[in-house]
Amino acid sequence: MNNRDAYDTAMNEITQVIQQIAPDAQIETKQRLTVTVRPDQLHPVIEALYRNETLRFDYLISLTGMDWGDRLGAIYQLSSSVDLTQEVIVITAMADRDNPLLYSVTDLYGTAHLNEREIYALFGIRFINNPDMRRFLLNDHWRGFPFRKDYIHDPKLNPETVVSSEIIDMAPRIMEREDGALVEETVAVFGEEDYIVNIGPQHPSTHGVMHFRTSLDGEIVKKIDVHSGYIHRGIEKLCESMTYPQMLHLTDRLDYLSANINRHALCMCIEKAAEIEVPERAQYIRTIMDELQRISSHLLAWATHCNDLGATTAFIYGMREREHILDIFDKTCGGRLIVNQNVVGGVMFDIYPDFQKDVKAFIPYMRGRLKEYDDFFSHNAIALGRMVHIGLLSREDAISYGVTGPAGRASGWSCDVRRYKPYALYDRVEFKEIVRTEGDSYARYLNRLDEIEESLHIIEQLIDNIPSGEVCAKVKPIIRIPAGQFFQSVETGKGEFGVFIESSGDKNPTRVKFRSPSLSAVSVIPLISKGAFLSDLIGITGSMDFVIPDIDR
Amino acid sequence: MKFTKYIGGIFTALRSLAGGMIVTWKELFTPKVTMEYPENRKTLVISDRWRSELIMPHDENNEHACTACGICMINCPNGTIQVTSSSIDTEDGKKKKILDKHLWDYGSCTFCNLCVITCPSDAIIFNNDFEGAVFDRSKLLHRLNHEGSKLREKKKESPAPATEAPAKKENREA
Amino acid sequence: MLIYSQPLELTKLLAAINNFLQGNLSPGWANLVKGILVGILILAAYALIALALIYIERKVAAFFQARLGPNRLGKYGVIQSLADMIKILIKEVIHINKADKLLFYAAPFFVIVASVLAFGALPFGMNLHALDFNIGVFYLLAVSSLGIIGILLAGWSSNNKYSMIGAMRSGAQFISYELSAGFSLMTIVVLSGSMQFSEIIEGQRYCWNLFNGHLPAMIAFVIYLISGHAETNRGPFDLPEAESELTAGYHTEYSGLQFGFFYLSEYLNMFIVAAVATTVFLGGWMPIQIKGWETFNQAMWYIPSWAWFFGKAGLLMFFSLWVRWSFPRLRIDLLLNLEWKYLLPINLVNLLVMVVIVLSEFTLTDLFPALFGK
Repeated sequence: MNNRDAYDTAMNEITQVIQQIAPDAQIETKQRLTVTVRPDQLHPVIEALYRNETLRFDYLISLTGMDWGDRLGAIYQLSSSVDLTQEVIVITAMADRDNPLLYSVTDLYGTAHLNEREIYALFGIRFINNPDMRRFLLNDHWRGFPFRKDYIHDPKLNPETVVSSEIIDMAPRIMEREDGALVEETVAVFGEEDYIVNIGPQHPSTHGVMHFRTSLDGEIVKKIDVHSGYIHRGIEKLCESMTYPQMLHLTDRLDYLSANINRHALCMCIEKAAEIEVPERAQYIRTIMDELQRISSHLLAWATHCNDLGATTAFIYGMREREHILDIFDKTCGGRLIVNQNVVGGVMFDIYPDFQKDVKAFIPYMRGRLKEYDDFFSHNAIALGRMVHIGLLSREDAISYGVTGPAGRASGWSCDVRRYKPYALYDRVEFKEIVRTEGDSYARYLNRLDEIEESLHIIEQLIDNIPSGEVCAKVKPIIRIPAGQFFQSVETGKGEFGVFIESSGDKNPTRVKFRSPSLSAVSVIPLISKGAFLSDLIGITGSMDFVIPDIDR
Repeated sequence: MKFTKYIGGIFTALRSLAGGMIVTWKELFTPKVTMEYPENRKTLVISDRWRSELIMPHDENNEHACTACGICMINCPNGTIQVTSSSIDTEDGKKKKILDKHLWDYGSCTFCNLCVITCPSDAIIFNNDFEGAVFDRSKLLHRLNHEGSKLREKKKESPAPATEAPAKKENREA
Repeated sequence: MLIYSQPLELTKLLAAINNFLQGNLSPGWANLVKGILVGILILAAYALIALALIYIERKVAAFFQARLGPNRLGKYGVIQSLADMIKILIKEVIHINKADKLLFYAAPFFVIVASVLAFGALPFGMNLHALDFNIGVFYLLAVSSLGIIGILLAGWSSNNKYSMIGAMRSGAQFISYELSAGFSLMTIVVLSGSMQFSEIIEGQRYCWNLFNGHLPAMIAFVIYLISGHAETNRGPFDLPEAESELTAGYHTEYSGLQFGFFYLSEYLNMFIVAAVATTVFLGGWMPIQIKGWETFNQAMWYIPSWAWFFGKAGLLMFFSLWVRWSFPRLRIDLLLNLEWKYLLPINLVNLLVMVVIVLSEFTLTDLFPALFGK
């Protein structure tokens, strides 16, 4: 992409921009540009980056709440939608633990809204000017902030209850007035007379325990309020008490349809930090397995999308083809859904003797099936009526809400991590990044089918060239990674999945954060479903393809 | 113009619908993918690497390879394995640890395989016997070492314990 | 006209029963007993056909989806739906708080009564006909539209938002497609000049109405199948239930026997639509007859008329299943578009064309009386 000089000049310019606004900001340029600012400078600095003329930092990759013991804070990972290789990290911290306040960036990034609410629930940091400051993932009456280091884990404090509590549609918030005074207020989420239908948490089409409180006008969706967290397991918190090899098995349980790719990200993050060289053979196996996983993820997405539109038969076809991939997984690493294949330094299992034969048999089979899907559903008049011009997501909104993956690329945003930040063998294989500009459900639908074809193409290039050798590097039994912050992102079936690790040099991390592509997809649904029919809401959720455990980490 | 478009639209729609129906018609005669379990038990192929149940292989003398070092227990991410051991005095006057019970909880295992790959003496493996459902949760707690079994005597110096010993120590400290 | 030998027809049996009753009872009592017998037979046939259809649908759907379908109970799972029926019968009826009790319990009866009334008027075979009104087609249209009242009541009284939306969708859908179904049947009434089922069937002895009225009849046939499909709330027109949107639509809150009523009537309505289409377009129970080919005709008559009827209706039902398991569901506005912008205008023009064809004697029977004439 850019050569080194261009990169440096760009970064110099950005440094100047930041220094103008916050002269006392600490700026490091070791790996990536890392800026530490005071809380009151946070919003101006980020806004300046957002509005920077030459390179707009308009994509908020990840917003991570932090507790360093003495200070609470947040880490903003910014990137540019035109060049994903450019990254700026903005860190802010404050000592106030009783009433920590930060300025919200929801006015700049749509994705910040749910992320800030999540940080409030888990760390207790409230955000000024966020229009709706309810807790996300936790319920309103949870005591304490579980991700803080001084949280008392006592079941008596938050007893399990079997009594259902009414959902209160009142949102607290802190707004800043013109004269700079802060006003605490509550606003009603819905109007008095709204006809509210609960889509979920137990609903056949939310693909898990997702809860959309939907206000309807006849069949037209007026407003959607997203509730989540019904299966929140605190995986990020669990990781803090585990060693690095132990952590690995939890990533399979995030987006279980991209289990292998998630785990790949965590392994790479640890390998990068601990400077472990992964053998060539392992890289081949990882890439092939990732692409197989992507196909299986897209197949299931296709199947459930069709099922949401009422075509049950398509669902079975998708599942049937996916079964072939799961069989290959099963034979390679003894798992179908939770594959447990990647480990730090390589892969756990070498490929089995017939692996290449099976994969090569699968490729033409899958091509034939893609043709069949095309005949069966892609041109069906009813299906077109249910997908074309439905759920329109503009490029700007896709970037603002951080919608990546096939859905983001359907809105004309070229955001394939494999292309911009190649990992494993993606810089050595040839593949097309599928980008469409329509931004509707149909474009997202077609993108997935086309990406299956591209994945097959990638596998074809690799399958015959797997070199011999070790499948796993020699790794010390206890892995320690040096103190610092590490980030690695990969392209899963749903979009950009990221792993953030902050280490103090011990064998446990001090903070782990997973950037969830599904959360972005869900956060944009209220926007793109507004004014659509109830049936289309279901179709749109299907086309966005999210997985709940990925949101409820 | 509008009228021809109207009629044309009807025919395009009908053609696309017919295309879909042809696909389902063909599928009507494709081989069915349903597996008739349990009738197909005899022909069912479970891959060798399939991880179902943790076992400790015993040889014909009722001997196993577990030295009760507890590495599997330490490495398990969610406390599924409990190893209890006791010390005995061997003939030449040294203290030696022997395995009392190796307990593994089927119910809380996530099959991450860490115990197997970290075991220094390859004493435990996963088998592919997947029919593990029981009616009582307490039955999920498996004792892996058989009654009266003992550690297999090593014929030669095994290289494994020497390298693994420091690692074990480090684990314990933590 | 020759009289063919009809060994498997039930005519003789029916006549024997009739003679037995007339001989032993006064005419009033005989008619009463006959009425009761017919009633029992119709109810039994209703339940049996529904059970068979449920099994067939599940099996056919499975085969379209590369699965095996029910295969646990009996050989190939044949008694699966019987077991399901027993389960539904002994299942608890769950009482819904804050539901309108009277309407809630009445709703399934409206649905099932409407479909039994329509079912009773079908001509199943030669002389296997409970009622032969001179306004048969009209009667059938009238009673079959009663069912919508039950669906609307079910949705309204359940006090459930999903049910309510489902019922309202159903109302809009049913009323729209009732028009098309009515007009396409009218097209055939124009062609055959009668509303009586027996006359319509007799008129199709040598040439089915589908071919007799050629182009307009075929268009009417397609429209009738589409709108009949839509009226029975089956995929791709299953918006009122819309499993992936409204969980189960208007019958979300129903359980046990009451749910069973909805379930049975859904399948029976599918059968009724197929049966009416068979009778009106495909010659009903009349075997395939070719003028002049007496041996062939005799051979055809060896197959009893009721077998012809169920065979033709079965083909249409298979087609309906095929459609159902091939297409995604329409959205309510697409559905209404299809009716009001496509089916209805085409239908009106079609009716006019049919009138012109009949008046100008352009039907096949008029053009080729030697081949198809009565």
